[in-house]
Amino acid sequence: MKYKYVEKRIPRIDARDKVTGKTLYSTDRYPEGMLRARVLRSALPHAKIIKLDVSKARELAGVEAVLTHEDVPGHNGFGIVTPNWPVLCVDRVKYRGDAIALVAAVDEETAEEALSLIEVEYEPLPIIDSPEESLSPDAPLIHEDGNILHTMDIPPKGDVEKGLAESEIVLEQTYKTQFMEHAYIETEGGVGVYNEDDGVVTIWCGSQYAFRDQLQIARSLDWEPEKIRVIGSPTGGAFGGKDEISVQIHLAMLAIYTKKPVRLHWSREESIVAGPKRHAMTASFRIGAGHDGVFRAIDVKVVANGGAYDTISGPVLNLALESSPGPYKYADSRFKGITAYTNNAMGGEFRGFGAPQVVFGVEQELDKLARKLQMDPIELRLLNAVEEGDISAIGHRLNTSAGIKETLVAAAATSLWKDRDEIKHKLSGENRYREYGIGVASEWHAVGMGVGIPDFSNIIIEIGEGGAITLRTGAIEMGQGNLTAYAQMLAEVLECDISAIDVIHGDTTACPDSGSVTASRSILVNGNAIIDGVSILKPILIKIASEKLGIPEDELEYGDGRVFSRNDSGIALTLADIADQAISSSRSLKVTGHAVIAISDKDFGDGLPHNYYTYITQIALVGVDTGTGEVEVIKVISIPEMGRAINIDGVEGQCEGSVVMGQGYTLYENIIVEKGEFKTTSFSTYILPTALDVPEHETIIVEKPEKTGPFGAKGVGEAPTVPIIPAIANAIYDAVGIRLEKLPITPEYVMEKLREG
Amino acid sequence: MNEITVKFTLNGEEVSISAPPYFTLLRLLRERLGLTGAKPGCERGECGACTVLLDGEPVTSCLVLVPQVEGRRVDTIEGLSDGDHLHPLQQAFIDESAVQCGYCIPGMIISAKSLLDNNDSPTRDEIKRAISGNICRCTGYVKIIRAVEVAAERMREDEI
Repeated sequence: MKYKYVEKRIPRIDARDKVTGKTLYSTDRYPEGMLRARVLRSALPHAKIIKLDVSKARELAGVEAVLTHEDVPGHNGFGIVTPNWPVLCVDRVKYRGDAIALVAAVDEETAEEALSLIEVEYEPLPIIDSPEESLSPDAPLIHEDGNILHTMDIPPKGDVEKGLAESEIVLEQTYKTQFMEHAYIETEGGVGVYNEDDGVVTIWCGSQYAFRDQLQIARSLDWEPEKIRVIGSPTGGAFGGKDEISVQIHLAMLAIYTKKPVRLHWSREESIVAGPKRHAMTASFRIGAGHDGVFRAIDVKVVANGGAYDTISGPVLNLALESSPGPYKYADSRFKGITAYTNNAMGGEFRGFGAPQVVFGVEQELDKLARKLQMDPIELRLLNAVEEGDISAIGHRLNTSAGIKETLVAAAATSLWKDRDEIKHKLSGENRYREYGIGVASEWHAVGMGVGIPDFSNIIIEIGEGGAITLRTGAIEMGQGNLTAYAQMLAEVLECDISAIDVIHGDTTACPDSGSVTASRSILVNGNAIIDGVSILKPILIKIASEKLGIPEDELEYGDGRVFSRNDSGIALTLADIADQAISSSRSLKVTGHAVIAISDKDFGDGLPHNYYTYITQIALVGVDTGTGEVEVIKVISIPEMGRAINIDGVEGQCEGSVVMGQGYTLYENIIVEKGEFKTTSFSTYILPTALDVPEHETIIVEKPEKTGPFGAKGVGEAPTVPIIPAIANAIYDAVGIRLEKLPITPEYVMEKLREG
Repeated sequence: MNEITVKFTLNGEEVSISAPPYFTLLRLLRERLGLTGAKPGCERGECGACTVLLDGEPVTSCLVLVPQVEGRRVDTIEGLSDGDHLHPLQQAFIDESAVQCGYCIPGMIISAKSLLDNNDSPTRDEIKRAISGNICRCTGYVKIIRAVEVAAERMREDEI
C-alpha cells in the first residue's frame, strides 16, 4: 500500500511558529493587570505544622491574596490515582516540596517578600529516607493507613522455584536506580483568569491531559467542571511529568479569589524539589536457563521509592513488573513489587514508566548469560523471543503484532554488530588509554492504559467554508509531534491536502476528550478515532453532494478529496462545494470519531496486562577512559518496531531524543536527596547531556503492521528511552569487564569497579 | 523601586523603555516589550533558552541586567526573519524536523546564528560547541546539528 502522507517525512505543522518565536506557551502569557503568584514550600522534609500565621503577609502593600488550606473549598488533595497530595498542607508536611500557602501580589518582588512574612512553626518528625526504612516494622507512619503505597503480585506462571531448581544455570543479581528529573525546559507554569460575567475560570498550563486537570480542579474547588476551562497545549516538554497537577489548582484558587489574572511559573529549583521524579527502585532478579540457552524461569522483586504521596506510583510499579521479563518466553515466572512512602523526592510518571529501572538490570543478566554460554547475545535473545500468538512471560497471549525478532535480525545485520571486533580493535589502536565496547539490549514497551482503565478517544472533524478542515482533539502537543501525525492520518483518509487542516488541541472547551497523552497511546487511539470520524463523514458528504448534483447517492463515490459520479468522474464536487451547500442549508459538516484501545483477554488487576507493545533493540558503542572512568557514548543504533511509522522524521526524532535522555540517566543524571534535603537543585549539579555528549545515531525502522492500528501503527512512544540504558552498561562490560549494578554510572563508580577488578 | 529608562537597538529599531534596574534583559523583553521568544528555563545562565545577541554576541539574557543594554544592539528570534521570509536557519530547522516541543529552539537558533555569522563552514564539532550552552531535552540534538549544517550549506550557496 502506497500512502501520500503516512510513512513519509513530513515537516511538523507547528514548526514555523516555533522557529519564529510566535508560539505562545502557557508561560508566555502576560495578560493586562496580571498578578504574580508564589507558593510557600515546606522548610522541612517531615514535620507537624504547629502554627501558621499569614497576617503580616496579608498586610503588606501590594499583596492581593494569601491563601491557606482554609481557602480550599473542596477536597484538599489531588492525584491521578489516589488524591492524597495536599493542595495546601493543613497540619503536617511530608516532603520539601509540600505547598503551605499561596501568595498573589502586584509584582514578583512583593510576592517574594510576602512569602518571607508568613510565619510557620514546625515540630520536626523523623525523616524516612528510603523504602527499606519506611517498611521496617518500627518505622514512624507517614500516612495514617501505613507506609505501603502500593503492592502488586502478578499471578505466578508455572512454579518458579521448581523452574529455578531445575535450571542448569541460575543468575541472581540486585540493581539500584536513582531519582531522575524530567528537566523539561519549560518548567511548570501558567496563567489563571476568572471571568465574573460567565463565572468561568480559565487555566492555561503545561499539561498532558487538560480534561483530567479540569476534574481535579473541580474536585478541589467543589465546582462544576463546566465552569473550569483548561488549555494545556502546547507545552515545552512533559515526558510524563505534566500529567499530574502542578500549578492548576493554585492558579484557579487565586484567580477566583482576586478576580484578576494570575501568573504562576515555578523556578527551576521549585520544579526539581516539588515536581515528580522517575522513581528510584531496587530490582532483584533470579533467572534460570538451560545450557542450550532456553530461558526457563524468572523471579523478579521490585521495591520502589514512592515519595510522600500517591500520584500514579501504583501503575508505574505495575508496568515495571510487566516490563521486567522483556519480550521473551519463560515457562515459570513470578513478579512481586512494593512501593513505599518516604519523605524524599516524589516518585511519579516519567517516560518509560517503570521500565528503565528494571530493564537496566534484566538485560545485563541476559548479557551475562550469553557470555556464560559463549553465545552471541543477539542469538540468545532470538532463541527466546516472543512472536504474535505466543504466551508471554507474564502469562497472557500476545494478540497484536510482535516484531522483536525482526529488530534482533536487523541488529545482527548492522555493520556495527557484524564488524564489532574490527571496529573496537581499530579504535583501540588509535587511543592508548581507552577501551571500547559494544553492547546490545532489547525491550517490549506497553502501549495503552491496560485492562480496566478507561482508554478511549474522541475527536471532532469539521469541514467549514471554503473546504477548510478542522480537527479538534483534547490531546496535548508536548513535542512528540502528534499534531502532525494526526494531520497526516486525516489527510490520508480524507484524501485532502495536509495544509488545509488546522488542528485545535488540548482545550477542554474547544476540543473533545481524547484521553491523556501518556502510555505511548496517542497515535494508536487518536489515529483510530480519526479514521472512525472520516468513515462517518464520507456518507454525509455523499448525501449532501447527491442533493446538489441531483444524482442518487449510490451513484456517487468519495475519492481524492471530492465526491464524484461513478458514471462520469468529471461530475464532481470538492469539499469546498459540499461545505458551501451544507452551510447554505444550515447544516454542519461536523462529526465525532471515537476509538477505544482493545484490551487483553487476561486481567491481572490494576491495569495489567497490556494488549499492544512497541518492540525495540538498541546497540551502543562506547569508549571507556581507564584513567578517569569517563564513558563516552560514540554510536547508537535504535531499531524500533512500532507497527507502522506514521512520520519517519517523527520516529527518528523520538529515537534520537530518547537515546540521549537514556544516556543522561545512565551516565550523569541523579537527583540526590539526603535526609529529605535536595542536593541537586540546578543544572550545575544535575548534569544533563549537551550537544557535546551525544553519540552518532542511526534509526532502523522495522514495520510489522498491526491489524487493529491506524495504518498498522502502534506508536513508537517511550520504548527508545529504555534498552539504551543496559546497552550502554553491556558495552562498558564489553570494553573493560565490569558489571554495573547501580545508576548513574559515574566516572567514580567506574574507577571503583576497575580497582576492584 | 524607581524605574530607569534605557535606550537601545532592538531587532534593528531604536527603543526607549523603562524598567526596574534589577530587571534582567529577559524580563525586559518578555514583560515590558512583549517579546516572548526568549524563554526562561533556569534564570541562572545554565540552560540557554533565553539566548539573544548583544552586539552580535550570544548572551543568556537572564544574566544581563537592564542598565547593561544602554546604547547596545539586541537581536532576538523575533527579528530574525524578514517578514514572511525565514532566515535559512529557521527554514532548515523546519525542513530537518529539528523542532520538537520547541521551547529551547529560539535560543538554539540564536546561538547557531552567532556561529554562522562568524564561520560560514563550521565543522560538526564547531556546531556542537556553539550550541553546547543550549539544552534541548527533546531532540537529542541530532537533527538540530544537521539543520545547522544544512543552513550553512544553503547560505554558502546563496553567496555564490
